[in-house]
Amino acid sequence: MKYTVDIVTENKPGVLYRIAGLLTKRKINIERINAYAVKGNGISNIYFTADIDDKIVYTVVKQINKIIEVIEIKYHKVNY
Amino acid sequence: MVYGNKNWLIKNIYSERSRTMKITGAEILMRSLLQEKVEVIFGYPGGANMPIYDALYFYGKKFHHILVRHEQGAAHAAEGYARVTGKPGVCLVTSGPGATNLVTGIADAMMDSVPMVCITGQVAAEFLGSDAFQEADVVGITTPITKWNCQLTHADEIPEAVAKAFYITNHGRPGPVVIDITKNAQFEKVEFKYPKNFYVKKLKTVNKYNSGDIKKAAEIINHAKKPLMLVGHGVLISKAEKEVLQVIEKTGMAVASTLHGLSSVPFDHPLYVGMLGMHGNYSPNKLTNSADVIFAVGMRFDDRVTGKLSKYVPIAKVIHIDVDESEHHKNVRAHLPLLGNVKDVLISLLPHLKKNNHKDWLGEFKKLDKKELMWEKKRQEKNKNKITMDIVLSLLSKKTKNEAVIVADVGQNQMFSARYYKYKKPDSYITSGGLGTMGFAVPAAIGAKIGAPKRLVFAVVGDGGIQMTIQELGTIMQERLPIKILLLNNEFLGMVRQWQQLFFEKRYSFTHMENPDFIKLASSYGIKGEKIEIRKKLDSALDKFINFKGPYLLEVKVEKEDNIFPMVATGTSIDEVRLE
Repeated sequence: MKYTVDIVTENKPGVLYRIAGLLTKRKINIERINAYAVKGNGISNIYFTADIDDKIVYTVVKQINKIIEVIEIKYHKVNY
Repeated sequence: MVYGNKNWLIKNIYSERSRTMKITGAEILMRSLLQEKVEVIFGYPGGANMPIYDALYFYGKKFHHILVRHEQGAAHAAEGYARVTGKPGVCLVTSGPGATNLVTGIADAMMDSVPMVCITGQVAAEFLGSDAFQEADVVGITTPITKWNCQLTHADEIPEAVAKAFYITNHGRPGPVVIDITKNAQFEKVEFKYPKNFYVKKLKTVNKYNSGDIKKAAEIINHAKKPLMLVGHGVLISKAEKEVLQVIEKTGMAVASTLHGLSSVPFDHPLYVGMLGMHGNYSPNKLTNSADVIFAVGMRFDDRVTGKLSKYVPIAKVIHIDVDESEHHKNVRAHLPLLGNVKDVLISLLPHLKKNNHKDWLGEFKKLDKKELMWEKKRQEKNKNKITMDIVLSLLSKKTKNEAVIVADVGQNQMFSARYYKYKKPDSYITSGGLGTMGFAVPAAIGAKIGAPKRLVFAVVGDGGIQMTIQELGTIMQERLPIKILLLNNEFLGMVRQWQQLFFEKRYSFTHMENPDFIKLASSYGIKGEKIEIRKKLDSALDKFINFKGPYLLEVKVEKEDNIFPMVATGTSIDEVRLE
């Protein structure tokens, strides 16, 4: 099932690398990704869409949430 | 600062004057480590951390620096130290190969939730990315195996990074962190200021369970007919051994332990039913699936514990305490996840629990225990005049009053020491459970002995594992550490050989080993030793081994083709556990 994951994070080097690593570990392929820094407050937003098995999406999202710099994370199913 | 004038420097290190003057990044690192109350550093110098080692030359009296023989040894020693003290182990290594040699140990610490701060030197900032001599992308390499890591290119970044690293490594679920410091930052001079506050956003609250959840959990436990508590490493990490006993004694529930949970509940407690997992005891494996309530406390349902997942705990309601949210529902769906520190959750839960007992349920365990005991007796009868690993460990346990620290390697020796040493005191069984790193025991025993100098520390190791980190005998020699090494030599990679026997029709593909004379080898490191080949000599040799003052290697030639049972074969359900 396709999911969009919406992440608010500290704008620090390596965060995207950690997220990508957690996905790579489970062979999840990113279909679309968008990242931008919010001006002035050191915060960055990252959105991505990927095909993730329903059984593991919770764990993957919680694992991304464990990244020290990540502040908030939400996810929802994408209906095409 | 003039490093050449040692006396001047030592005198002035803590003076007001030096507190406000500019000092090098290397010295800032020393001061930051002192702020974090670091006492022990396991390290190895090299090109890219020489300024740090130069500062250490002056701070030598403030730290106990242990010069290992290979960086992997530093990482495992730091793990051993952290496991017995609860304090983060600190490693200090150079760039490139120094850092990559740490990788196995870092991955090991990540899997087993061990707090560890690794400081790696790095080439100067201007050379980063140029494939400079001894340059490796350490942050890149260690990202998947660390809780957090960073690279510092300026001296003024050091204090905050160190403060953050020590906070992160031991907060919530512990795990390793890496600080990579470029050489120019080590030389650069700035004023030293240690941060009181720094921003690590969400680590502050680890307890997110609420009173409603606690009441629900209590209700489930109070109504249970066949409750089983599974204790894991989380109990030892949060030091909740007392609370676990209070809960089981009040509710009368049976308690079984994972490999890393061993020693959290004393072996002779009437409610303790043994170890779970692939080579765990018979009754807890057989009966887990009959439980109506599984109360998982600080454990993560590893595949070695659950066996075939689709057949695991089919009827039970699962209550799962873990400090790491991503562990809930990862392998086993919890009916009631409780997010928080084990100790805090149990303290909140205790008043809501009703006094109860489950005699019939415990009777079921006892019945199966008898079956295991009968099998055990038959096995002992068969091996009467032989030396097998179980008899060595049982004797060691008896002779040390069940109170020593056992640092086990990986393989048959690990499983025999998990099962046959009877653990009584917390933090007594240390092993590489998650990553399963052969070569772990000898260096980890070094760290454990330094962390717990008053306890008897034994490294239990096979002939394969000892040779993976045998160079650390040099560290034992230099530090004059009274570590006892119990080498169980079967001239095989025993666990792999067992699998080849059971599942590959005895095709012993490259598992036989021709070994050096271990006693001579130890002796060249100034370590006394003895080799035992007959059963009659075992008793007196063990006595000598235990009572010897100083390091000692006891090599015991054990049965070559002995197997560890009970066993849950891969892909089968845990209730299909077999005794032979």
